Amino acid sequence: MQSESYKSDGHYENPESYAELHCFSNFSFLTGASHPHELAEQAAGLGYSALAITDACSVAGIPRAWAALKNSPVKLITGSWFELSDAPPRACTPCFILLARTRKGYGQLCQLITSARRRAEKGQYQLYYRDLEVHPLDDCLCLWLPPTLANADSQQALAAGEWLLRLFDRRLWLAASRTLESGEEQQLARIRWLATELRCPITASGDVHMHCRKRQPLQDVLTALRNHTNLENAGHCLFQNGERYLRPVAVLQRLFPTAWLQQTQVIAQQCTFEPGSLRYEYPPDLVPSGTCAAGYLLKLTREGERRRYPEGTPLQVQALIHKELGLISEMQYEHYFLTIEDIVAFARGRGILCQGRGSAANSAVCYCLGITEVNPAKVDLLFERFISKDRNEPPDIDVDFEHQRREEVIQYIYQRYSRDRAAIAATVIRYRPRSTIRDVGKVLGFDPLLVEQLLDGIDWRDKATPWRQQILDKNLTRNPNVADQFFTLVNTLLGFPRHLSQHVGGFVISAGPLAELVPIENAAMADRTVIQWDKNDLESLGLMKVDVLALGILTAIRKALEMISAQLGRPFHMQDIPQEDPDTYAMLQTGDSVGVFQVESRAQINMLPRLKPATYYDLVVQVAIVRPGPIQGDMVHPYLKRRHGLEPVNYPNQAIQRVLERTLGVPIFQEQVIRLAMVAAGFSGGEADQLRRAMAAWKSHGDLTPFRDKLLSGMKERGHTDDFAERLYQQICGFGGYGFPESHAASFALLVYVSAWIKRHYPAAFYCALLNSQPMGFYSASQLVQDARRHGVDVQPLDVNHSQWDHTLQSQTPQSQAPQSQTLQTQTDNPLSLRLGLSQIRGLSQQAGTSVSAKRPENGYTSSSQLRQLTGLNQRDMELLAGANAMPGFTSNRHQAYWQLLGHEQPAELFIGEDNNAPEPACEQLPTPNEGQNIAADYSSQGLTLQRHPLALLREQGHLSFCLSASELNTIEPGRPVQVAGLVTGRQRPGTASGVTFVTLEDETGNINVVVWLATARQQRKPLLTARLLHVKGVLEREGDIMHIMAGKLSDLSHLIKALPVSSRNFH
Amino acid sequence: MIVDASGQKVLQACTQASSQGVQPGMRLKTALSLVADLAMVRTDPQQEARVLQDQARWLYRCAAHITLVPPDGLLAEIGSLQKLYGGLPAVWETVEQGLNERRLTAWLGIGHTPLAARLIARTGKGECSADQGHMLRLLEQLPLAEAEFDTQACTRLQRLGLNTLGNLFALPAAELARRLGPKILAHSQKIQGTRPDPQTPWQPPHRFRQQADFVEDIEHSQGLLFPLQRILSELEEDLCWRQQETDSLNLLLCYRYTEPTRLHIRTSGPEHRAEAFLNLIRLRFEQQPLQAPVVSLVLLVKRFIGREAASGQDLLGETQDMNEAWHTLISRLQARLGDGALQQLAPHADHRPEQAWASADVKRKQRKASAAENPLPCRPLWLMHKPQPLHTKPQAWFSGPERISSGWWDGQRVQRDYYIAQLPSGQLAWVFRDASQGWHIHGWFG
Repeated sequence: MQSESYKSDGHYENPESYAELHCFSNFSFLTGASHPHELAEQAAGLGYSALAITDACSVAGIPRAWAALKNSPVKLITGSWFELSDAPPRACTPCFILLARTRKGYGQLCQLITSARRRAEKGQYQLYYRDLEVHPLDDCLCLWLPPTLANADSQQALAAGEWLLRLFDRRLWLAASRTLESGEEQQLARIRWLATELRCPITASGDVHMHCRKRQPLQDVLTALRNHTNLENAGHCLFQNGERYLRPVAVLQRLFPTAWLQQTQVIAQQCTFEPGSLRYEYPPDLVPSGTCAAGYLLKLTREGERRRYPEGTPLQVQALIHKELGLISEMQYEHYFLTIEDIVAFARGRGILCQGRGSAANSAVCYCLGITEVNPAKVDLLFERFISKDRNEPPDIDVDFEHQRREEVIQYIYQRYSRDRAAIAATVIRYRPRSTIRDVGKVLGFDPLLVEQLLDGIDWRDKATPWRQQILDKNLTRNPNVADQFFTLVNTLLGFPRHLSQHVGGFVISAGPLAELVPIENAAMADRTVIQWDKNDLESLGLMKVDVLALGILTAIRKALEMISAQLGRPFHMQDIPQEDPDTYAMLQTGDSVGVFQVESRAQINMLPRLKPATYYDLVVQVAIVRPGPIQGDMVHPYLKRRHGLEPVNYPNQAIQRVLERTLGVPIFQEQVIRLAMVAAGFSGGEADQLRRAMAAWKSHGDLTPFRDKLLSGMKERGHTDDFAERLYQQICGFGGYGFPESHAASFALLVYVSAWIKRHYPAAFYCALLNSQPMGFYSASQLVQDARRHGVDVQPLDVNHSQWDHTLQSQTPQSQAPQSQTLQTQTDNPLSLRLGLSQIRGLSQQAGTSVSAKRPENGYTSSSQLRQLTGLNQRDMELLAGANAMPGFTSNRHQAYWQLLGHEQPAELFIGEDNNAPEPACEQLPTPNEGQNIAADYSSQGLTLQRHPLALLREQGHLSFCLSASELNTIEPGRPVQVAGLVTGRQRPGTASGVTFVTLEDETGNINVVVWLATARQQRKPLLTARLLHVKGVLEREGDIMHIMAGKLSDLSHLIKALPVSSRNFH
Repeated sequence: MIVDASGQKVLQACTQASSQGVQPGMRLKTALSLVADLAMVRTDPQQEARVLQDQARWLYRCAAHITLVPPDGLLAEIGSLQKLYGGLPAVWETVEQGLNERRLTAWLGIGHTPLAARLIARTGKGECSADQGHMLRLLEQLPLAEAEFDTQACTRLQRLGLNTLGNLFALPAAELARRLGPKILAHSQKIQGTRPDPQTPWQPPHRFRQQADFVEDIEHSQGLLFPLQRILSELEEDLCWRQQETDSLNLLLCYRYTEPTRLHIRTSGPEHRAEAFLNLIRLRFEQQPLQAPVVSLVLLVKRFIGREAASGQDLLGETQDMNEAWHTLISRLQARLGDGALQQLAPHADHRPEQAWASADVKRKQRKASAAENPLPCRPLWLMHKPQPLHTKPQAWFSGPERISSGWWDGQRVQRDYYIAQLPSGQLAWVFRDASQGWHIHGWFG
């Protein structure tokens, strides 16, 4: 006698159909061998009525499956598979699947997953039978997977079944699968027996691990990986056959009794929950009681207006605000803006500099709310992507915070909303080519050393000989079949998720417990939790997230502004920086931009003199143009030509003119490309959005071809030439994933301008702030200090009697006996010098550094023993100070300083305070360091030196007799053969330049750019890759202000600087 | 090129690789980017230790006082050898010649202290000279980094601006000890010879060798057993005394005119009883008659195994008896049939029936079957060597299909549906249909 809930009501669309209720996707890491969308598409193709994705204690694959099934008749059921960590009394450890019947059931499922995940290490889960007795699961259905004969005897199995039945009365099924493996008949007999004993129906299930049978090899590979073995030794860990795939309904009908198949339909029908129904509920906390969200937002905006425009808001801005507020309230996004405003207000209260960016950020409302500093009145920007009414997509605002203080903001969010309601979005870490080849190679039993060799030998960019051929040439295996298998496996495994990691700063905040919306699990970082969905999943489900990002330049700007304020004797804020300062642009136009935000890379430095930015909007373009997208789309040269009037600017029609006018008819920003597709090819907003997503995904697995026909035909209809259409399509392809949005560039350009202005007018403060914000940016402390000195900033060495922990600005009074610790003076006629801080000493603890400056006596320290006694520094810290030569006041050199520290014994307490201050006598036998030794020691202790550059020394010693210095090169005509030498500070092989390596050499006068062509690089690998000091014979080339050397002969001179620990930053 | 065990760093590079820039200490990645088709060998510490032992054994012939300096060094005291060989150059030549014969690249160095000799040898500038002044000059020029101080001491010395051993020797000893600790001073003094540096002498490993020379030629193997019994008793005594056992004996039978016969006798497990050995040898003799009259025999044992505590001895001693019996049976069969003739059937974890079993060397009987593995699937006891085509239509089907699809990775892929079927002859057969739809018989059920 079966109860009501098990009976079908007989209204199936297709009584012959089937619902798969047990299916692992590859989000059951190293278990499932198919992507969720593959499973979804296959189920749709086979005419299943429903598909449940039941990953191991996870719903991470659900959004992707849902996106694929959104517009299909196949119903997606949300579920999860569990194995308990313990067993109920007298029972075996049960394995089962829970399916969410309703939204409530889904919340219960998420809660259960969260509990199981939160108590285990990252990537693991622990679920105990008690959990199921405590957690409400009344809106979930349970499919029990009875144990095999080998795993439990029948009494244990029955006990487990009875236990589950108690919990899931009338919601329990026994799942039976037909995988055609040995022992199946006995297993089915057991299931039938259990069903009779428990009076519980049996449902068919596929135990699906892959969408088609062809994935069996990959499934075997994953199994072997999971078991840390290779295929040869995997033995019975592997499945006996490849039947765990989505089988055609006809096959299933032959294998299962009709009643069992019908039960799948009964279950599917009961599960009405649909992921698309998840709606975000905004946290209501932010709105004071008695007001509505819209009213409160209006109030805050008005307050902001008065602050921003004390003389009255310009009419144009008023209109904009009115329009935006209308749109916000229509879409009910008030809470989103209030949430961001709240976070930004917190940061401002703490003095943490922040800046919003993104489509919605550059709005008048955000300007008034203080989220961004981009003034809509002064900058004429298009805010088309502000909020799109067509696409039901949440607004997008990223907020950058000072990188050293972002953690405070994160902690604030946790505290404001509690950990139950705020968590960070996940980032899905996927299989990359290297990890894939390594893992597949391991499983196939290849020698790991050979695989490493192979990986290093592969030139990923060498499109001419595909890596497949390169691998074949390596003779990894003699069996050609295995080689073929290898490539198929590697290609399929590529892009598989490996684990969930935390997103850089995407927060999800909810009104109710977040764990009822999406499961939360532990991240690798202590005290960090992530949800099981990533950014794209949230987007596809229409859930809101707030990006709290870290940006180094904000730290530097805040510190510089503080120093300027101190120097001026009055507060100086970002708003006080004069707009459109010609001197600042003049500096940028010469390519003098080391340390300036976004435009300090070598490519940017080369572009500055060509683009010659003269206005804020030029900077917006500058930020976006040196990107792979515009470069590969071949947009740089046309833009430059038109900018300099060398090429006419024309537009096919007015609509296109409106889109491209700002950039002289050349699409440079991502928005423009999307917009073009709309006005030129008639894409709807929704279609254009799909195109944007496809572009973003193009590089990994996206496919733009479906859009091609639509684009071309759309443009033809609107009277554009084929040539124009094809060009636009190519530009879109070139943009794929790399296009920079104007809305972000606008915010960045503001920071470019601010940092450039500080560099131009307050260089000492600029470099000091940059040094105090390390690590950040493109350049090392050594390079920054050299650049600072070239800009006339006086840099003073480390000294325990003068230095603070941080780098400081000190007035340049003649060295008196009294230490200069009062840092800043107001008079500007006395330029400030930059005093290196103790933080520059590698390995010195901050506590030690600060106590050196805090405990410093009036007249400074007079001996190392006094220093030790007053500060209580340990031997290690003292040695570090000596190694940095930071005691010039009472030691003759670093060797002697170090000698004095050694053999120190803690004085007996009685004698403390007695005459310890006399400096110790020097040890005569110790050699005095020569200049070279001092330079080397400076580098190893601080990574920089204020003494002569090593190259100056070598030049003086006659080692570089024919070499020109960087400054001498300026006077040489282009086309002349030259010889140069320098420390290798960077090797870069950008993806956009085919096979070219850019090497940056540093000498005592500046940097030299060397271009090495592929052929040269191949012939001279050794010096190119290993030299720390490189000698280059080549030809000087110059175009405008840009100069570089085309390398011919490279030679390694590293033996000259053996002791010098200089490292190059290599970018591949 | 030789790579460290973790496969991260280059330890040694051949001259060809060095010429292309590969250097010891370099990361493997860098080395590979320099020379893409590098041949790599992983270092094997065990093999290194063995090679060093071998060299020590050889050098032991020349010098009595030897010390091993793992992983790659040997010290020999040669001061006392000068007289024996007739001067230092003769000693030097003997060693150098020996190294050449053994095709070993080695650097020789002579020093007045063990450490000095070692350091000089490592510089590759060792000379055949006993001039202490010369040695000290060599040492004084030695960079501190090559003087075998530990890394911490090295950095400390470098921070003081000391670059060579000479710099270090110049510092006052008392100050040195006070400031840098006694360890550095001791090391420095051991190099200079102002502090004794006793070395533990190396002892050649133990081996058991007994020879019996016969006054009269022995023509029958039976006649060898008596002297063997005496030698084996001595062996048993030796083993008991050392708490060791062995599982392999080497027996050398020497003839008057022909090359001697070498017999290798293995027991199936560690053993020490003379009687057990003798039984095995007797069996071997029965199988292998003497080629010629024997003039002498040598018994040599090189392999020793630490004796385990007596195992499986329960109160009644029954299991031990069973183990003993099994043990003896296997040993006898092995001795009778020869090495490799005896194999044992064992299950092999693989889904393919052909691969699901393996013949393996006979193992010592396990005390208990290891934790219950997967239950064996239903398989016929008689599996045919090669599946035979099925010609007749079976009368009845009993079970199936059981689908096996596996082994795609080693070129022996199997894709079959198995059934148990009764043939018209009444036999119960294990039949399958493969991917080509052909039917085959793969085994018979009893």
